[in-house]
Amino acid sequence: MLEAINLTKRYEDGQLAVDHVNFKVEPGEIFCLFGANGAGKTTAINLMLNFIPPTEGTVLIEGIDAVKEPLRSKDYISFVSENVMLYGTFTAYQNLDYFTKLAGKRNLTKADYAAVLKSVGLQEEAFDARTKNYSKGMRQKLGLAIAVIKNAPNILLDEPTSGLDPKSGQEFLSLLVKLRDEGKSIFMSTHDIFRAKLIADRVGFMKNGRLGLLKTRGELEGEDLTELYIQYMEEREDAPAAPANV
Amino acid sequence: MLKDIIKKEILETITSPKFVFTFLLCTILILLSVYTGITNYRAEQKEYTAALALNKKNLESQPNYNALAGLGTKINKPPQVLGTVASGVGEAVGRVATVTVAYDPNLVDSKYESNPVFSVFGALDLSYIVKIVLSLFAILFTYDAIVGEKEKGTLKLTLSNKVPRDRLILGKVIGGFISLLIPLIIPLILSLLILLVYPNISLSGQDWARLLLMFLLFLLYLSVFFTLGLFVSARTTRSSTSFLVLLFIWVVFVTVIPKFSVMTASQIYQIPSVHEITAKKDAFLQQIQGGAQKGVQDWIKQNSPEDDKDPQAQTAFQAKFKKFLEDYQQELTSKIDDNNAALERDYQAKKNAQQRLAINFSRISPASALMFASMSLARTGIDEHERFLASVRAYKPIFTKWVNAKMMQGINFQTGEQAKVVLDDMPQHKFEPEGLGKSFMRTLPDFGLMVFLIIFFFAGAYVSFLKYDVR
Repeated sequence: MLEAINLTKRYEDGQLAVDHVNFKVEPGEIFCLFGANGAGKTTAINLMLNFIPPTEGTVLIEGIDAVKEPLRSKDYISFVSENVMLYGTFTAYQNLDYFTKLAGKRNLTKADYAAVLKSVGLQEEAFDARTKNYSKGMRQKLGLAIAVIKNAPNILLDEPTSGLDPKSGQEFLSLLVKLRDEGKSIFMSTHDIFRAKLIADRVGFMKNGRLGLLKTRGELEGEDLTELYIQYMEEREDAPAAPANV
Repeated sequence: MLKDIIKKEILETITSPKFVFTFLLCTILILLSVYTGITNYRAEQKEYTAALALNKKNLESQPNYNALAGLGTKINKPPQVLGTVASGVGEAVGRVATVTVAYDPNLVDSKYESNPVFSVFGALDLSYIVKIVLSLFAILFTYDAIVGEKEKGTLKLTLSNKVPRDRLILGKVIGGFISLLIPLIIPLILSLLILLVYPNISLSGQDWARLLLMFLLFLLYLSVFFTLGLFVSARTTRSSTSFLVLLFIWVVFVTVIPKFSVMTASQIYQIPSVHEITAKKDAFLQQIQGGAQKGVQDWIKQNSPEDDKDPQAQTAFQAKFKKFLEDYQQELTSKIDDNNAALERDYQAKKNAQQRLAINFSRISPASALMFASMSLARTGIDEHERFLASVRAYKPIFTKWVNAKMMQGINFQTGEQAKVVLDDMPQHKFEPEGLGKSFMRTLPDFGLMVFLIIFFFAGAYVSFLKYDVR
């Protein structure tokens, strides 16, 4: 389970990037976060991974305070970035082997790696190829394989489908559904409203660092999510976004 | 985990094109430099042996001691076997000094003098390759060590795992350094083997110790640039910025500081030119020569026998005159030597002060420290050159005394005949090369500076990385 409590980040220049954000992602749930560029989505993820310290509030990962015990909390979280860039001179196996070992998992065989790579839909002939020749879709799949093999209960994804062709994007999201069904808590920031609607159990809208609007799958039934997004984003700048606690 | 990070660093580097390029270039350059060093050394050795034989032949062929005193003896500087690795100032300074009765000896006929084109580019020895090429490689290996991972996004992915930052930077340092050592160590071992098996190249135990110290120095020098690269990489947000900053520092270290320090020292300590000193010496010599004739005439006037037809009185006079000439010659030569020595002392003191300032100032740069220390260890440095020159100058009065004595003893005033030259008892020039202990002591500040810079840059990289913004 992933939980943000009053999470706030104010930069040294005074900019309030994340403003008292609260949310909880339960096991077996996909939470999608929408927002324009600069809304604070990536900052929120950076705070959850403790890449930057929060000004206020905290993050609980499986109940562990990620601010107080960042290293311990990382055992329970996996991360897939917007643009998975790996070690280009390494093969998929080598990349997977390195990050698996960093995740503290040892004694895995090449067959284990092959099984994971297969499960994320990477073609077998690419397993031994250098990743510098991979397409973006292939890299994203390998990034997901790295997250999958870690077998952490929480997965953070930062715009993972941006730049992917429709087929690759669809395949990628299907994999997330599979992981959700295995009981993982999945937090994903995205611009891909259309596809997110298909898989999200809950969605949140972020604007000016505030998490303003939250909808469950049930509430989204019959709603035009794109229209809802545009409407929310076009609200007057001075109109404060309603803080949401979930 | 540390092992995994180290392994990954090594694997990532050795599978990269830059490693293949570096390895090939290092191997070619290092082997080429050692090969040319050995070829040069063998040529110099041959030349040295031939010069010794020619000098002996020339001395023996002189009709008398008077001619020998005029010609003088040539002292050749023996080539240094470690010049194959660090040629130092060996090619820029003279290799032979002519010791005569009249003039102060000086080392002339440098390699650059005979082939000025060599001075344009300098020698391609191992110390030069380490100073210029390998230090650039060290930068090439590290400029993107941290900032590059940030740009790629692999740093975020790595740190999303339970990886302590201190362990990550340590792994990167160890792995990166091993990767840098591989293209260096293999050709270095090959060059050692060449030195070991090449005919007519014999290294003493002390030479091997010096060589190992030089290799240690090279490693420290490369470590300075390696840790500097890490430091700058951990202080920048773009790898292009990191590379430019490092290139700027490299230029300052390798070319600006050494040249600037020499220029500054020559402005602070202005010394008279060599021509000025020579002119002063010549003026004194002429003054002595002018007075010498009068001195001899006065002595003859005072000591001539009253009865110049008395053969016994004539014989006694000639013996007395011979003794006088011998002593007088010795006295005048001593006066010239004393005057020259005083002028030289004064000049040397000023020159040394200027030199010391330039050396100490330029030592801020690790490139200068590398050059001074490697020259000292190879016995091809300025100090060794000056020690050799001092030994030649110390030999001059010994040779002068011997040749003057022989000249006077060999003259038959009645017949005008002079004795033939016999070199059996001619004193030989002796030069004891500097011991390892003394050389090492002289290089200690250079070793110390490099260790300090490594610690400083590493600590800087370490602290910077702990606070590094990985976003």
